[in-house]
Amino acid sequence: MKMKTMKTTKTMKTMKTMKNYIPVLSLVALLCMTSCTDDNEVQIINEDELITTVELELTSSSDATNVILFKSVDIDGDGPDDPVITVTGTINANTSYDGSIRFLNESIAPTENITEEVIEEGDEHEVFYNSSLADFSITKVDLDANGNPLGVITTLQTGAAGTGTLTVVLRHEPTKPNDNTLSGAGGETDVQVSFALTVE
Amino acid sequence: MFTKPLVAIALLASFCYTHAQECTLVLQGKITDFHDSQPLELAQIYVVQLQKTYISKADGSYEITDLCPGNYNISISHYDCDTKKIKIKINQNKTLNISLEHHINDLEEVKILADVHDNHSSTQSSTRIKAKTVQQYSGASLGDALATVSGVSTLKTGNSVVKPIIHGLYGSRVAIVNDGLRQQDQEWGVEHAPNIDINTASTIEVIKGASALRYGGDAIGGTILITPARVIAKDTLNGHAIIQGQTNGRGGSATTTVNNYRESGWYQQATLTYKKLGDFEAPDYVLSNTGSETAAVKLGVGFKTFEYGASAKYSYYQSEIGILRASHIGNASDLVRSINSGQPLIINDFTYDIGAPKQQVAHHGLQFNAYKRFAGLGKLNIDYSFQFNNRQEYDIRRGENAGRASLDMDLQTQNISVYGMVDAFENTIYEAGIDYMTQVNRPNAATEVRRLIPDYDANKVGAFTSVTYNPSENWMLDAGFRYDRYHINATKFYLQSRWEDLGYDEQFASFEIGREGNQIKTQPEFQYDLFAFTAGAKYVLNSHYDLSINLSSANRAPNPSELFSDGLHHALATIELGRLDLRKEQSYKINTAFHVNKGRLDLEINPYVNFVNDFIQLVPTGLETTIRGAFPVFQYEQINARLYGIDLHASYDFWTKKPAEERHTHPNELVYKAVKLLSLETNMSYIHGTSTSDEEPLIDMPPAQIQTQLTWYNAGIENLDLSVSNHAVFQQNRFPDNNFLVSIPNDEGQLITSTVDISSTPAAYSLWNVGASYTFAKANTKINLTANNVLNTQYRNYLNRQRFYADEVGRDLQLQIIYNF
Repeated sequence: MKMKTMKTTKTMKTMKTMKNYIPVLSLVALLCMTSCTDDNEVQIINEDELITTVELELTSSSDATNVILFKSVDIDGDGPDDPVITVTGTINANTSYDGSIRFLNESIAPTENITEEVIEEGDEHEVFYNSSLADFSITKVDLDANGNPLGVITTLQTGAAGTGTLTVVLRHEPTKPNDNTLSGAGGETDVQVSFALTVE
Repeated sequence: MFTKPLVAIALLASFCYTHAQECTLVLQGKITDFHDSQPLELAQIYVVQLQKTYISKADGSYEITDLCPGNYNISISHYDCDTKKIKIKINQNKTLNISLEHHINDLEEVKILADVHDNHSSTQSSTRIKAKTVQQYSGASLGDALATVSGVSTLKTGNSVVKPIIHGLYGSRVAIVNDGLRQQDQEWGVEHAPNIDINTASTIEVIKGASALRYGGDAIGGTILITPARVIAKDTLNGHAIIQGQTNGRGGSATTTVNNYRESGWYQQATLTYKKLGDFEAPDYVLSNTGSETAAVKLGVGFKTFEYGASAKYSYYQSEIGILRASHIGNASDLVRSINSGQPLIINDFTYDIGAPKQQVAHHGLQFNAYKRFAGLGKLNIDYSFQFNNRQEYDIRRGENAGRASLDMDLQTQNISVYGMVDAFENTIYEAGIDYMTQVNRPNAATEVRRLIPDYDANKVGAFTSVTYNPSENWMLDAGFRYDRYHINATKFYLQSRWEDLGYDEQFASFEIGREGNQIKTQPEFQYDLFAFTAGAKYVLNSHYDLSINLSSANRAPNPSELFSDGLHHALATIELGRLDLRKEQSYKINTAFHVNKGRLDLEINPYVNFVNDFIQLVPTGLETTIRGAFPVFQYEQINARLYGIDLHASYDFWTKKPAEERHTHPNELVYKAVKLLSLETNMSYIHGTSTSDEEPLIDMPPAQIQTQLTWYNAGIENLDLSVSNHAVFQQNRFPDNNFLVSIPNDEGQLITSTVDISSTPAAYSLWNVGASYTFAKANTKINLTANNVLNTQYRNYLNRQRFYADEVGRDLQLQIIYNF
């Protein structure tokens, strides 16, 4: 009987203590639950490092009006639309050309010229050109800060007429110097475009 | 099978001992309630050395006869009481009165019945990882420790990002409850490991099903309960300190836990951990950029008495983890090069530096708990918690974005729950609870990369009730029901082309709220009603055998990744697409467990089957070309899945037996006078997962595996234990064919169509580990020396996301010193 009384007193005491706890606890909870959310407007993100466009322009060394433009545009980046590939101009046989390549981000306005970054970080980039035509040769003219080929500026020498493909690959952080092959250069691919190639 | 060598050992040993002792001693006493001194009837007194259970009578008295002189471990349990473990030396007849504390088990969901295995507290199959094992993994990850449980495997990204898989399921299908708090750390991501310091755990319990309804009904894979050290009402300061060093990674960890307890009920607990590792090494090369650095702290203060108590706890976990440099690739051609090369394309000298790609995570947890017991009724618990999780992922980037995170997400979660338990009835416990969760996800727009997971606000309100009924000593029945309403409201920009390609412009036109450039701003909003039901029965035949069966039905809502992900996955060169029209998953699982603990054998067999309707998984749906070349597209789709499997755990002790000299020796003598000499422990698991929609195997199912360990106790020297273990993993021969064809430019300028083999599974492998462990009896100090992968075996693991790029880690020597105080 004595024990029971004691227990009851104790229970009452604890009840009182608990009554103090609960409002404090609820208050803390309530305060946090209401104050920790924010309603900031969700901003659009336009990826400025996205490459949407590759333009390879060839100008004949002997005839400034003989200009060829290889162009691939994928305006939705990783979206479902395929790149739109166009080739304008005529490549003549047995002719030398000066080539220059541009990488652009046309998904934002104004258009961002990513080629500048590629040149600036030339030691971490390299452009590779491969043609299935045997006597179609491409030479990289420009060099990076370490004196290794970069490949933004090129010269081309065409041979006999024929059709094939021209593949342009931009690698980020390749092994430099390398053997100028895709398999030997390593790195990760930032751009890989294949153009139909017709030498007339 | 083992009987013959056993007999031989026993015989050999028997020559060494000649004198016999009489086994006629009696231990008796009375078992009472600590609080009101009432006698406790039907308390179970389990004598470990004899593997026998004795029951107290109506007046609380018990008697254990025919005892041999010596040391005994006795565990006394009573329905609804904390199990008490006592070590006692008996060399004459003895009286031992024991008082048990009622209701002290704060964290146990279901109370224990007459069960000799304290890892079986409900009808659900569950396994407890002991404090000793947890300590051994002080320098590893939570996932690594969990993988010691049969039926649990891990999904890895490298060696530091380790996610637990229970019965073939992982991610948001597995709930992790850390100290009563459901962990919310973006667990839906395949490359997201739990942000929990394993050293804050005292024990870890794995429940292989959806039956822990108190913590949510959607864990259709299972629930992991991490329990901190128990609070004791005694003036004492205890804890431990562990330092550990390893050769592979050339680093180590240090951790300490200090607990200060007062008899008044006040207590303070603190755990501090720091870990630093450099690059791991495979047998043939350095795994460049795989270093990691982790720091964690947990502080707790509280007041605990039998009738009421409250606590406040804060935990912080931060980790920076390097991701294998060679696994960051640009397109499918790079992946093919990597697969064909057979070794990473980038191998640098060993370094502690961590560069991109890497992950940086921080997790804060703040929790408050208060409870009160009501005499003659039960207990009421109120919990509030706040969690803040920040995750940053760094990729290889160009220009001014180099060094800027590609993903930076803040996830805030708050929970409030009220839980009540009524245990005033003799054989029945009722439990009920309600809880409310609110969650805010805010990706940082400054990354300049389109958000992987959009901004969202989510909330969940739920209630559960369950009952556990013990109709007799041998039976336990339980059942429970839970309902949750989950609501998610997101704001996401879709590329217009993607939105239209998926047909959302027609199906979900109502979500569109604006258009900016080539992106559409949308506000998808969904609500899911989730039901969970569980019922089970357990039959305890006697001290040696028990059998249980549990049925559960549960729903899981699609997670944000499954709903919204949209973009290129850099490690697998795939485009992954979420799906807005996903329905909830519906799982029906039957789990059975049969347990034997007889003589030298401890065996548990756990077969199960899980039917999941509308199982959400990634399925290849085609190829898309971008400026980087062609990528396969994987989209989340719903199929019906059937998973079944079996887990087996067995341990067998080889003992040296002391002789029985007298003819009339009591059998207890034979059992007691044995000394553990060798013990063989085996874990096996097998799982078979199929999509019944198209009769294709499910992807990422753990291959069959066997782990075996042989331990030699007191090997030549007292307190020196030597062990050798083997981990054999078979090749997974059941996998879906997700290979795809792409055109890859070769060095001659031709485009070659190649198959990208992302489906084939690595070959079987077998790893050997050896270990030595020495315990200084007086100093409470233990030294563990371990060599993992001692043969430096070269292998790849099907469940490692980096298996396309590099071998697993090679030989590793570890030294660990544990000091308990």
